Amino acid sequence: MDIFINFFNAAVLAGTPLLFGTLGEILTEKSGNLNLGVEGMMFMGAVSGLAAVFLLEVGLGIEIAGALAVLIAIAGAFIAGALGAFIYSVLVVSLRTQQNVTGLALTIFGIGFGNFFGEYFGRTSPIGFMTVSLSARQGFSNLSIPVLSDIPILGPLLFSYNILVYLAVVIAVAMAFFLSRTRWGLNLRAVGENPATADAASINVTRYKYLATCIGGGICGIGGMYISMVTTSGVWVHNSVQGFGWIAVALVIFATWSPKRALVGSLVFGGLTVMRFYVPLGIPMQIYDTFPFLATILVLIVTSIRQIKEHSPPAQLGINYFREER
Amino acid sequence: MKKRLIVLIVVLSLLLAACAQPQQAPAPAPTPPADGGAAADTAPPAGEGGLTFGNIRLAFVHVGDPADMGYTYRQHRGTTDMMLELGIHPDQVLNFFNIPPGGAADTAILEAIEWGADMVFATSFGHGPHMLEAARAHPDVNFFHATGDLALDAGLPNFHNYFGNMSQARYLSGIAAGLRTETNVLGFVAAHPFAEVITGFTAFYKGALSVNPDVTMYVMFMNAWNNPALEAQIAQALIDRGADVIGQHADSPSAQGVAQNNGVWSVGYNANMIPAAPGAVLVSPMFDWSYYLTYAVYEFVTNGNVRTDFLGSMEPGGQGMVFLSALNPNEGVVAEGTAEAIAAAEGAIIAGRNIFTGPIYDNEGNQILAEGEEWTERQSAPSWSYIVQGITVIE
Repeated sequence: MDIFINFFNAAVLAGTPLLFGTLGEILTEKSGNLNLGVEGMMFMGAVSGLAAVFLLEVGLGIEIAGALAVLIAIAGAFIAGALGAFIYSVLVVSLRTQQNVTGLALTIFGIGFGNFFGEYFGRTSPIGFMTVSLSARQGFSNLSIPVLSDIPILGPLLFSYNILVYLAVVIAVAMAFFLSRTRWGLNLRAVGENPATADAASINVTRYKYLATCIGGGICGIGGMYISMVTTSGVWVHNSVQGFGWIAVALVIFATWSPKRALVGSLVFGGLTVMRFYVPLGIPMQIYDTFPFLATILVLIVTSIRQIKEHSPPAQLGINYFREER
Repeated sequence: MKKRLIVLIVVLSLLLAACAQPQQAPAPAPTPPADGGAAADTAPPAGEGGLTFGNIRLAFVHVGDPADMGYTYRQHRGTTDMMLELGIHPDQVLNFFNIPPGGAADTAILEAIEWGADMVFATSFGHGPHMLEAARAHPDVNFFHATGDLALDAGLPNFHNYFGNMSQARYLSGIAAGLRTETNVLGFVAAHPFAEVITGFTAFYKGALSVNPDVTMYVMFMNAWNNPALEAQIAQALIDRGADVIGQHADSPSAQGVAQNNGVWSVGYNANMIPAAPGAVLVSPMFDWSYYLTYAVYEFVTNGNVRTDFLGSMEPGGQGMVFLSALNPNEGVVAEGTAEAIAAAEGAIIAGRNIFTGPIYDNEGNQILAEGEEWTERQSAPSWSYIVQGITVIE
């Protein structure tokens, strides 16, 4: 049982940055923008969330308490991720550049942005690392909720994570509600499915595309901050995001553009990535490393065979909208 | 209007290109400092072709980036320390960063040769075949490959290997771990299942065993030199199995932070990692690459002759090519008596004690070394790849 609980915990921790990235990209893609810059935005969020706390602590010469550090890091990461997405939006929505190329450029830019500032602040830091105080790190450690955390089995299984894990779940549920139960959500989906019709129905297509892409980018940024604050424990590590953004893009397909299924998908993906450390099958480790990707292929095959409309991507995904071509 | 815009863009991009050039492209003919550098006075130019410290050209092919605050940072630090020591001007040095083994390595080595490098250095084990090939094709250029194992067999006058005997420092760091552990279980985050890595964690384990006969160790491989997220996940998995001191052969400090968060301890590698996890890191074994680089460049310029295979060791007072960082000064982190135990073992090791002395059994009970038998390496790159009794590799 202990092994199962440890495995489940590790799967959740490994899946959370993916969940943020996936949710951000789902919101983005619902507006018809295929932003392949998730990796870049996660890098920008990773360095900015950490840097926000780091710079405040160094600048003011204080140690920021855990809860406040969490808020500052979330704000820093969200703004940086949204900034990356804003660049993308200006290029794609206003200037109508090709989406794939722009997204790839954003990835390259974001990786450089992250590693540049990470290295720069690391060098200016008196101790050689860009890192935050132990009291700030406390905010990102596992919670111990009175009563709930003490329930046998369920406590460690569900109520023993850091605050960002719960934030990700809340965002997923809120996004599912927003997309399927609110007028704005319906409008956003209309923009992604058929912007011309949405435009004719006096929905401001440009505004929806900008907002969804920028907020989505901000959520991706928080995913990056999760890596720099939780995975690497509040120390900037060169190239720390390393591929998470790309897996998140794949997970959007795995989740078939549904925030609820993204919850399951990120848990499964997280579980498959840490499986070899907890579930010995006696097979070479390289085979374990293929599991998440085999799962993606499997889901792609199954969803394309079943042909359920609900599971298909937004109809105008990746295609820019020109009002004059209506 | 449109024409003007185009002209403006062209001019701007040319300007940008001009600004970017000096960092990227090989520098034009280096202008040696007028005084020829500080050390040039003490060492008269006697090398082949009138080489001096003021005109020799050095190229470095690094597998990573100094921003890793680990392996490549230390390598590059070795270069800059050597330059200070010998008075080499920055114009005489060309660095290539983030060059993985493969086509990129061939290109970088060729660029270095075309730039006019007299000595080409490469830092990763995987660069070996590319360096060897280049050494065969360019007998007038000298090649120096860290961590590699091809030079002795190749027998070329212009191809060299160098390494530090990291096992010595790892053994000492293992003593700190063996005294610290309360569960008597160590965990090790290992990079690739290569001899260098296996030798390293075996030495670490032997060190722990020397002060704690009940200690056992779990090892998990990453199949990568550097993957911060994976390093953290493996560290957590090891702690979940009961390990309470985490050692590592990995480039980033992320496993150290995991140890700190779990309230257990750790041993760093390559960089002094105490600031990254002040409550967890006991000590870090480290390299001082400037030790070799200064030797090699000095010997090459003054008499044109550098040893084909060079192994640097620990020396008294932490001055050698391999050394141990200071112990964690924070109260209650290292166990009592650690400093004394390390000092005693350090003396014996510097005096020539072989860590790999029998009896040693592998984890299936087969005897590898008989009582008193010593394992000797024929070259600087270690070849020990037995998993010894007490270590469990989890695949």
